[in-house]
Amino acid sequence: MTSKSLTLSLASAALLTAMLGSAVIGHAQQTRADAEKDPVLKAMLTELDRNKDQLQLKGFAKPFFLQYRLEDIDDYQAKADFGASVGDGRRHQRVARVTVRVGDYKIDSSTSRGDGAVELAALDNDPLALRAGLWQATDQAYKAALSAYAQKQAQLKQVQTPPQQDDFSQETPVISLEETVHLQVDGPAWVKLTSESSGLYRTNPSLKATEKDVQYSSASFHARAVNTYLVSSEGAIVRKGSTSYDESFAVGTQAADGMHLDRSYDSNGLQVSDIDSPDAFNKHVVSLVASLADLRKAPLVEEEYHGPVLLSADAAADTMHDLVASAVTATRPELGTEARTKGAFASSYHARVLPEFLDVVDDPGLKSFNGKTLIGAYKIDDEGVPAQTVKLIAGGRLESYLIGREPVRDFPRSNGHGRAALTGPARPEISVLDITAKDGLSEDDLNKKLLALAKDRGLKSVYFIETMGPELTPRLLYRISADGDAAGKRELVRGATVDDLDQRTLRTGVIAAGKDPFIANYDGAVPQTILAPALLFDDVTIRRANEKNDKLPFYPPPS
Amino acid sequence: MTTELNRAMDTLGKQTDKSASAKQVPPYFLSYTVADATNISIRAEYGALVDSTGGHQRVVDVQVRVGEPKLDNTHGTHRGSAVNTLELPLANDREALSRSLWLATNSGYGTALDNYLRVKTEAEVRAKEEDNSGDFSTEAPQVSINKPAPDPVVDKAAWEDRVRALSKVFREYPDVYRNIVMLTAQSETDYFTSSEGSRLVNPHQSARLIVFAVTRADDGMDLYRAQTFEAETVAGLPKQAELEAAMRELGKSLEALRSAPLTEPFKGPAILSGRAAAVFFHEVLGHRLEGQRQRGEEEGQTFTKEVGKAVLPSFLSVSDDPTRAKFGDTWLSGTYSYDDEGQKAQKVDLIQDGVLKTFLMSRLPIANFGTSNGHGRGQIGRVPNGRQGNLIVTSTKQVPESELRKMLIEEARKQGKPYGLYFEDISSGFAVTTRSSPQAFSVVPLVVYRVYVDGRPDELVRGVSIVGTPLTAMNAIVATGDKSDIFNGECGAESGSIPVSAVAPAMLLTGIETQKQQQGTERVPILPNPSANATAQGKGN
Repeated sequence: MTSKSLTLSLASAALLTAMLGSAVIGHAQQTRADAEKDPVLKAMLTELDRNKDQLQLKGFAKPFFLQYRLEDIDDYQAKADFGASVGDGRRHQRVARVTVRVGDYKIDSSTSRGDGAVELAALDNDPLALRAGLWQATDQAYKAALSAYAQKQAQLKQVQTPPQQDDFSQETPVISLEETVHLQVDGPAWVKLTSESSGLYRTNPSLKATEKDVQYSSASFHARAVNTYLVSSEGAIVRKGSTSYDESFAVGTQAADGMHLDRSYDSNGLQVSDIDSPDAFNKHVVSLVASLADLRKAPLVEEEYHGPVLLSADAAADTMHDLVASAVTATRPELGTEARTKGAFASSYHARVLPEFLDVVDDPGLKSFNGKTLIGAYKIDDEGVPAQTVKLIAGGRLESYLIGREPVRDFPRSNGHGRAALTGPARPEISVLDITAKDGLSEDDLNKKLLALAKDRGLKSVYFIETMGPELTPRLLYRISADGDAAGKRELVRGATVDDLDQRTLRTGVIAAGKDPFIANYDGAVPQTILAPALLFDDVTIRRANEKNDKLPFYPPPS
Repeated sequence: MTTELNRAMDTLGKQTDKSASAKQVPPYFLSYTVADATNISIRAEYGALVDSTGGHQRVVDVQVRVGEPKLDNTHGTHRGSAVNTLELPLANDREALSRSLWLATNSGYGTALDNYLRVKTEAEVRAKEEDNSGDFSTEAPQVSINKPAPDPVVDKAAWEDRVRALSKVFREYPDVYRNIVMLTAQSETDYFTSSEGSRLVNPHQSARLIVFAVTRADDGMDLYRAQTFEAETVAGLPKQAELEAAMRELGKSLEALRSAPLTEPFKGPAILSGRAAAVFFHEVLGHRLEGQRQRGEEEGQTFTKEVGKAVLPSFLSVSDDPTRAKFGDTWLSGTYSYDDEGQKAQKVDLIQDGVLKTFLMSRLPIANFGTSNGHGRGQIGRVPNGRQGNLIVTSTKQVPESELRKMLIEEARKQGKPYGLYFEDISSGFAVTTRSSPQAFSVVPLVVYRVYVDGRPDELVRGVSIVGTPLTAMNAIVATGDKSDIFNGECGAESGSIPVSAVAPAMLLTGIETQKQQQGTERVPILPNPSANATAQGKGN
């Protein structure tokens, strides 16, 4: 533990220096000599130097930028179905991604595909083997870059409008060496825990009655430690590590009319202590399985509804993830256009994109909130640039974008958001997207407001979405009566889909927001977090999904 | 397994109440195949480990057939609808196992019903098929309960060192730009139960060391060599010194190949080494003798109408014998005791004295061949097809290999050619037998020598590819060597990847046509290989 806190303070010192824009090497500043004590970094630096000095095809330009990113991935997974393990396994691999750019910062060989070559790297710290993999990948990447550069030169001749911004940003290289992280998992214990969770549908006394309705019941555990080593020809040297732990459960059934009903739950974090205790997890599992019985009994949603809809903070987080997270990133527009960037907010710079009472900040430094770990946080991005807090939307207006080292108009520098999926190229991504409302309402007040709206418009009932499934399809949806004595009474309904939940509705159709955010950690290809309050929408369509209802089982499950 | 299978068989389509399955067609056949496999895999590149992993998995294939053997849900292009695959619990937890089997059976039955409906509709609107055989043969149930396979015994640390050391040998060959050495060991127990009453438990073990090495000639031609070593368990693999010597041979061979002259187009006599002939027969002949290739609109049906006719010179016979575990001292990887449809493995005489007798049969009948001969094979997740096991080519016209070489030179002289060709190694490509693709085999010659008539030393050439039709090439065989060589390998086709062997003597062909193949135009690496030994570095590049 002591070595860990030391690392943190060293790294934050480095971060502070970098953020002050100071190039002066301070007392605590790490050096290349420190890096070379690490056999992986030493091999990477040796091969990088050799290629930087010597790599050139006769008659062609040398690369102006080389970057090696090596990821050491130690991964453990366990899965269980119907109360028994289907297997667990651990895999340790190293993968190197080599990026080579030819040309210059203004116009280079990069394309929108994400360039470079990927190669398995030696697990042994054998310098020759490590270098051989990098050598092959560099050779391939350089040849590909030469041909991409020639192609780009040809394309530039075909368009009248010159590129709006340089191809690659100039950044001050940092040297930052964190301690490596290691995976600590008790495999047999997780095999047992996942087996137990996936079998609760038949072992928990409260669920026994509905046991036969369950069509699948699956629990899994996934733990991973990744150490990333990054060196560039500009002098950046980064070693950073992160661990992630994720336990999830999924269960499903069909209603009597054949409609598929699915529920899932996920608990994740950076340390095993971040995730639910077995008891807490199993409590969620039991409530999820029990909810299937409620869902089976739940009536179908009416054919079509237009009117106010309240999204819980949980459902709002998923909505913001789908509609805002990718819209606030800036990527290079098509060659020959005057566009600033691509995506839903491409032309929205300084324009209003959300109601005036909402602010959005992306804060990679926010590591926890209300005691909960935020997995989207990080210190240095996957292009070796220190992460910065970015005020994206203020008073509803878009004031900035998240950007990596490929600039767009008015944003010539990276703000440290070039993030990569394992082995993938870096692209701008959110970290911890913090959405806050001015004068946010309590849950109670939001509900009152919802009912008041119903009354104003003479509606008999309104809707509340508690959780969303994939593609913004409500999983737990309640119809709330607005009628006389029954006003406020909630009834679970099923089979709905939501229409008109888009960027335009976000801009013009949000009437009020909640006070307390929900913390949604997305343990996807790039870890992300969204903090979002509940949102009350003025006019959204809820209608019957009319999905294909598969046949019910042809015969009953075994007893 | 059997209990749950019987329950499904007794329930499906037979309920009399108003439940969902009322009025459904019941299945006429149901089988569960469970593959319980433990694997170990160790891989090194450039002299260091890149992967060392293992796992244990149980997977079930549920086969559901509805309709009748004459016409069922698997007809024609619907063949895949027979099988539904699911991962099974590893623990012997009866409830979890039967629940998983139920899930797979239920969805398999749904798929089968849907496909059966479409099969029937298609049958009504289509003209008569060329081959109107049924879809499933009648066979006697088999019962054979054997001991499950033991877990593979692999000293992981020791084998990691061995695999690493083998890969490191290539540091002596700086122009070998890439090398992969991989050890895999597998212990599998297959459980099979069917509604016909078959019950089988069969173990299968295999160990395999695979070496793959790559170089590139200065003109951009990509050159590679691959070699594999197989045994039932890792203990049976060659000793380290022997393997290291084999790595050196591969390294030397690649360095020689990259500086070898390019081939010229050639039409004349050639010898296929035993190993090359084995690959050649497996690809060119074996795949075309698979039963299912004789029916179906898309198939080439090369041999369909050749039964009883001479398809090879009369001194050659070809059989496929999965019951044979060894040839000489060498373990045959295509060995099995029951096929993947639960049928007993049989030795099948495919070609006797040059005359085609029969095909490799699964339970898919074809015209004149209504039953399986124990060759229904497939990877888990696929519907088994007629496939090879151990293909064995024998000859009654054998001469010592030195004599065969003299005959080659004589034949070249007779044809007025300055040289004949010697194919030492060819790689198994993928045999294309569908009608829309040319009827040419895609074996790739890797090591080919010119054998000069004027007594000059043999000369290695690169870039050789074989052109021409397979039947013509095989009918040009005039004599064979007196020693057989064995090719053990993995074979891929529609029913997945399966272990196979082929055994053949060297063969002299009076006429083979070759051309120059262009493969790759990329430049050689710009900087020298950093993993090459300091001593080796001097002589490279």
